[in-house]
Amino acid sequence: MSTDESTSNVDADAEPEPEPSVVDDLHTDEWESEMQALLEDGDYDAELGLEMAKDAQRLVAGELDEADFYERYHEAVIDEFGVDDRPIAEAIEDADGDRDRFMKSLEELENGELDRREAMKKMGAAGLFLGLGTWATKENAEGGPDAASVAGDGEQGEGKQYGMVIDLEKCDGCLACVVACSQENNTSAGANWMYVFTYEDGHQEEENYLVRTCQHCSDAPCEKVCPTTARHKRTEDGLVLTDYDVCIGCRYCQVACPYGVNYFQWGEPDTPESELDYDHVYDGRDRRVDSRPPKGVMGKCTMCPSRQDGKMGEDKVGTTACEDACSMDAIHFGDMNDDESDPNQYLEQVREENPNDREDYPNRAGDTVSTFRLLEELGTDPNVVFVGNEPGPNAKQVEGPVKYEEIGEVDRRKEVLDDGTFAGGVSP
Amino acid sequence: MSTDTDTPSEADILRPIRSTSKAYYALLAVVSVAIGLFLVGWGLQLRDGMIVTNLADWGSGGGVTWGLYIGAFIWWVGIAHGGIILSAAVRLLGMDRYKPVARLAELLTIAGLTAAGLYIIIHVGRPDRIVTSILLNYNETIHTSPLVWDVTVITLYFVMTATYLGLTLRYDITRLRDQLPDRFEPLYRLMTIGYTEKEDEVVERMVWWLALGIIILAPLLLHGGVIPWLFALIPSMPGWFGAIQGPQFLTIALTSAIGGVLIISYAFRKAYGWDHIITDDVFRGLLLWLGFFSLLFLWLQLQQIMSGVFAAPIDQTYATDAKLSHPVYWIAMGLVATTLAYIFAQTLRPSLFSLRRSVLAGGLILTATLLEKIFFVVEGLMYPTFGLYDAVPGSYFPSVIEMISIVGTIGIVTLFFMVVAKVVPVVELHAIEEHGDHDHEGDGEREYEFDDATEEPTDDHTTEANPEVNA
Ligand code: SF4
Ligand code: SF4
Ligand code: SF4
Repeated sequence: MSTDESTSNVDADAEPEPEPSVVDDLHTDEWESEMQALLEDGDYDAELGLEMAKDAQRLVAGELDEADFYERYHEAVIDEFGVDDRPIAEAIEDADGDRDRFMKSLEELENGELDRREAMKKMGAAGLFLGLGTWATKENAEGGPDAASVAGDGEQGEGKQYGMVIDLEKCDGCLACVVACSQENNTSAGANWMYVFTYEDGHQEEENYLVRTCQHCSDAPCEKVCPTTARHKRTEDGLVLTDYDVCIGCRYCQVACPYGVNYFQWGEPDTPESELDYDHVYDGRDRRVDSRPPKGVMGKCTMCPSRQDGKMGEDKVGTTACEDACSMDAIHFGDMNDDESDPNQYLEQVREENPNDREDYPNRAGDTVSTFRLLEELGTDPNVVFVGNEPGPNAKQVEGPVKYEEIGEVDRRKEVLDDGTFAGGVSP
Repeated sequence: MSTDTDTPSEADILRPIRSTSKAYYALLAVVSVAIGLFLVGWGLQLRDGMIVTNLADWGSGGGVTWGLYIGAFIWWVGIAHGGIILSAAVRLLGMDRYKPVARLAELLTIAGLTAAGLYIIIHVGRPDRIVTSILLNYNETIHTSPLVWDVTVITLYFVMTATYLGLTLRYDITRLRDQLPDRFEPLYRLMTIGYTEKEDEVVERMVWWLALGIIILAPLLLHGGVIPWLFALIPSMPGWFGAIQGPQFLTIALTSAIGGVLIISYAFRKAYGWDHIITDDVFRGLLLWLGFFSLLFLWLQLQQIMSGVFAAPIDQTYATDAKLSHPVYWIAMGLVATTLAYIFAQTLRPSLFSLRRSVLAGGLILTATLLEKIFFVVEGLMYPTFGLYDAVPGSYFPSVIEMISIVGTIGIVTLFFMVVAKVVPVVELHAIEEHGDHDHEGDGEREYEFDDATEEPTDDHTTEANPEVNA
């Protein structure tokens, strides 16, 4: 959906339209179908939800008063969900409080500042909030994100969003990706932008792997806390990068990132500046965000922006060094918002290969593939989707089939850093 | 009701400016060495990078990325709150008993904030970029970065306190001008530029409002706000996350602030024989406040322990268990508890009170809060929610360079007091005027009337100038 359409729907030059028509304008077919899609993912009555969402908008816009709203839906909600335990007056009050914000959103919409989807999301939110909160909780309780919302059906947002689908069941822990990344980026010893865990979880016999890059979160806490905007999300493709020329090295991003993917440049980098390739260091915008960071600033997996920008040759666009190195074909990099992209195609293929018995058990999910995003509950909206087992809270890392030291890498970086500590480090 | 028979005089408060003892030079030498060592350490850090510290990456790296520098940063901001408490007591609540130490406390605010600011600079990997990178992107980052909020509020707090101090100093400098050394003449002239007696009344009111502003800003927004929010807003670090950090940080800050004021007051009283100015009463009162805040400190710890051990989520249980099994935590809590026990005892049995002991109490509290702050920062980073890494929890023990920074910043703060005491009076003229035999007519302009019952009626805010002191 385009923003043009939304601006044409709301005439920017005219006097502010009276609220009813503004709300009506928002009830486009598109909105309905999107809401419908959203609602149909749940087990509950989609029509009821849609009606409710619409009326919630009216309520917020002042077209409908709360008593009416209550009357209209109280019964239905009880029928559908069994309870209507949320004090509706309180819910409506909340919605009322949102009124100013709602009007502001409308203004922004008129000015084209806000994309249409976001506006709809916000306004539809009132409906979802009132009626479907129950549903949302239920879905989560049922165990993780469902297949469709995990990747690839366009629910993730507008525009390009690079990310990965990593098939942990294919990974054999060879660490080739770790080596490839460190060679490509000339990272210092132990700065493992790519890191592969081998772990045990409870009584599981088999060996589990977790292949950890930066998750290039859509709601990245590292970006939020950065006091300088050095840590930023590229608008063109959603990569989360660090501008090495702006970063002051406060390390707040490292503190705020839940995954521990950041590696600070504590001392002089192992590879001197002179040995770096200019084309690799600067991305297509000519900002210094790729390759290893200089002394005193933060580094982490970049998802290879100079490749994506075509600076490393056309054939490398849409690839990453770690992906190239993986002979097990476990890593799939690409646009998570594009159904046709490599990661989404791969996911679809895996799902097709593992169908569920829906003939005998029509209630079962379409396939038996387990997918997850790491620590999704923290609200970071990560863009790496894993196929395979998710490590539980008591999972413990164990020695893998190939040790970091065996392939010339360092696992625990502190051991190397201690050599530089003044008067010797203490590593109890 | 002052038990001292001596009446404090102008000569008393001018003593630090007029006379310089051998001990002063000795201290100066010690302080210079401390600062010198610190500068050497910092120089090495600038040359070689942050690698000279014992910090490292958390996660696969096996370290923690924030440590002593950040802990000490919070500690100094906490100490800086001494100015607030005393100003609140004196200017807003009219507890005139603390007037003699009010300016010392305000100076401690300036010095403490300076040390804290310095810690931000030495903490980062590229200090040369701080100004450009932060200022040029300020309009964007101010919306989401707690670190930018901190820098903002601290700057505001610094400016307000400095203005406030500057305004109150004008009064004194004008009146004592003839007795102040000529070599600082340009400075005095600058500080008293455009001064007329008419401004006293206006300034008095401005100072009151400024004090009110600072008192609201500093505890509620700074140490009960943006400083704890640096940590409390990070959901992936269970040792930090949560609403309790605001009140907890504030109580810790207030205990360390009083600790700082106790020590500074004692030092000046000893050095310049100000027994009749900074009386025992002042120390007794400060001790009571210290006891009160220490109690809150421990009580809030109890809250965290209870919610962390009873039926907490797994990540929080790990974090709490780790905290409870670390000796540093118990040392810090033990120091606070000991101080509290002493204060309680000396309230019941006044004979247990002594100056030395109260200063010791201040010292213990300062040690406890420094340990607690560093421990809090490090421990939080050691037990993240995502603990799959074998290298989590990591290890950390501050390197020599990191530890020297504490000595260095204490040196800088001491030096600051030593220099300031040579230039301007560190006890307000108002504080001795009230002991003096000046006119007791009410001026009808009082902003606050609260007189501590134990004190003689005072006519403190001399909106009318005292004729004899009028230059
Ligand atoms: S994984 Fe961490 S560093 Fe990467 S975008 Fe998310 S929060 Fe930022
Ligand atoms: S270390 Fe650099 S990128 Fe990270 S938060 Fe600080 S300034 Fe931003
Ligand atoms: S995407 Fe690029 S930077 Fe990230 S781990 Fe792979 S090779 Fe390294």
